[in-house]
Amino acid sequence: MKKPKDLNLETLSLHAGNKPDSDFGSRATPIYQTSSFVFPDSETAAGIFNNERAGHTYSRITNPTNAVLEERISSLEGGIGAISTASGQAALFLAITTILGKGSHIVASKSLYGGSHNLLEYTLPRFGITSSFVDFRKPKNIKSAIQKNTGLIFGETLGNPGLDVMNIEMVSNIAHQNKLPLLVDSTFTTPYLMKPFDYGADLIFHSATKFLSGHGVVIGGLLVDSGNFEWSSNKKFKTLNEPYNGFHNMKFVEEFGPAAFINRARKEGARDFGACMSPHTAFLILQGLETLSLRMEKHISNTREIVSFLNEHKDVKSVSYPELEDHPDNKLAQEILPRGCGAVFTFEIEGGLESGKKFIESLNIFSHLANVGDAKSLVIHPASTTHHRMDTLALKNAGISESTVRLSIGIEDINDLKEDLDEALKQANR
Amino acid sequence: MYYHPVQQKINNSEPIIFIHGTGMDHTVWTLPVRYFSRKKTNVLAIDLPGHGQNKDKPLDSISKISTYIYNFLDKYKIQRCSLVGHSMGSLIALEMASSRPERIKAISMIGTAFPMQVNEALLESAKSNPQIAINILTFMGYSFSSRLGGNKTPGMWMTESTKRLMQKSKKGIIYKDLKACSEFTDGLDKAKKVEAKVQLILGSNDFLTPRIKAQDLIDNFNQPLVEEIYGSGHSLMMEEPNKVLDYLIKLFKN
Repeated sequence: MKKPKDLNLETLSLHAGNKPDSDFGSRATPIYQTSSFVFPDSETAAGIFNNERAGHTYSRITNPTNAVLEERISSLEGGIGAISTASGQAALFLAITTILGKGSHIVASKSLYGGSHNLLEYTLPRFGITSSFVDFRKPKNIKSAIQKNTGLIFGETLGNPGLDVMNIEMVSNIAHQNKLPLLVDSTFTTPYLMKPFDYGADLIFHSATKFLSGHGVVIGGLLVDSGNFEWSSNKKFKTLNEPYNGFHNMKFVEEFGPAAFINRARKEGARDFGACMSPHTAFLILQGLETLSLRMEKHISNTREIVSFLNEHKDVKSVSYPELEDHPDNKLAQEILPRGCGAVFTFEIEGGLESGKKFIESLNIFSHLANVGDAKSLVIHPASTTHHRMDTLALKNAGISESTVRLSIGIEDINDLKEDLDEALKQANR
Repeated sequence: MYYHPVQQKINNSEPIIFIHGTGMDHTVWTLPVRYFSRKKTNVLAIDLPGHGQNKDKPLDSISKISTYIYNFLDKYKIQRCSLVGHSMGSLIALEMASSRPERIKAISMIGTAFPMQVNEALLESAKSNPQIAINILTFMGYSFSSRLGGNKTPGMWMTESTKRLMQKSKKGIIYKDLKACSEFTDGLDKAKKVEAKVQLILGSNDFLTPRIKAQDLIDNFNQPLVEEIYGSGHSLMMEEPNKVLDYLIKLFKN
């Protein structure tokens, strides 16, 4: 019997979720720029609203363009379904609030993107959800941080900006031994570099603003469900195990089985929180995804050269990149990130804060801004910008000092990038 | 026996019973179950023994499963019912309708064929390495077009959803189910004995139970309704949920 062959990432990036438009044969995914959808009759309307029929009602909840994107990211990650959101932050919020509520607790990596840290440390406690931040390199710390009310373990594939490589298999084992799901922010790696579900993650979210869209033109997020977690195994997940008054007493585990989480997220979170993605944004992310593998290949090859260049530069104190032998996660990175460790990394400049500022202001090709994963090269000083809300200890825990500079390497000509960096380093130490 | 929705009073009723296929469970019927429930029709989407939330010992033949369901019906004093079955479930519906014709009002056979012979290599995979069998069943279970998505249910990736359901089935279930399908005999004679109203819903691009292999069944039923969904593969409830529902509504309208 002929062995079935699933399509590869490069093919799925272009095709998954999309069929040529049935009305006019449009090959590109049409942008359904509409708030709502006309029902052919009252009975059909009632059927779609009651989840008897498949279809769209209102673009806050579903939209055909967004649906293509949701299927595409699910296919790339190996998930059963996804929801597109207004931003990566909205995706994180949706993931958390779909299963947790007042009195819940999260065990999170201490090495998180500043925005995620803000949400968990400062904002969610106002709604009764607290978090403990621990070093995910130490299994003992994760285990001891789990409390009776813990409902989620959360970390990033590559910590931002210190690039701690998360041992997803180890962390997911701990999570599952405690009947808890593992949520992973996979923004820095994308499915091109790693698929967290293969290592035991249960939920993934992306800031699609970054490498997935790839051109710095949109803000968007994606939440993907593996369908692997046994929600019925832990009755503390009341939103999935108990009747939901907000949808005719629907019991999500009973009606959707493995798809309980993603259905609840859409039927409640997408409906009520309203942090939806515009169809035009979905279209632009789809355009970006079509070239994901080509861009990532170039991002990685450029990054490797720049890392090597800076590592040997006399005006650079140190470079932090998991492919370097002195990085604490070098061995793990070789195992789970053989295609590369992303295109974002940090380095410490000689001369401290003032040199750092001068360096950034002297760059010509690199753009000084708060983003990563653009096709264009970017630079920022995390301590004064993306992570400025963190106190000194939290900054230290996240691997950030005052002289840390973060680079996001684009796909420009490598020699032009090296010359720009070299010249700026000279200016910084003049 | 587990059935959904559990809160229903089913004693002495004449329900429509939904029977899933290989390695699946009641959740494949969520949409039509919600429709018929809203229309105040008694509907039961059952988990076959060893599947989903049914803790009973798995059974390895269509006739044993049929007897098992009849025992369940007797327990709840259900004298007559209608059956909707997908794939293996369609053979169970056929067996039930032919063995006790007076008890079955109508049957809908979705994604069906006779014989439903299973390739030896696939059976062996199901026994020794179920993941290979799951991959084959999923691959063959969708039309090429549906393997690329375009799900009518927004945001859901069909093939992986199907895999996940089968991956969650208990050890040995897929092998037993496939063996039961493969060893089901006398389907054409059984078709002749059916007195119930019969409907077949078939996908034109079904690779597991090809449309052409349903023809003998069609020829042996008494005036069956044959509904063909152009472009659909074997996973009709996933690939064309609205059309499947419309055809079921048509069957049960009266």
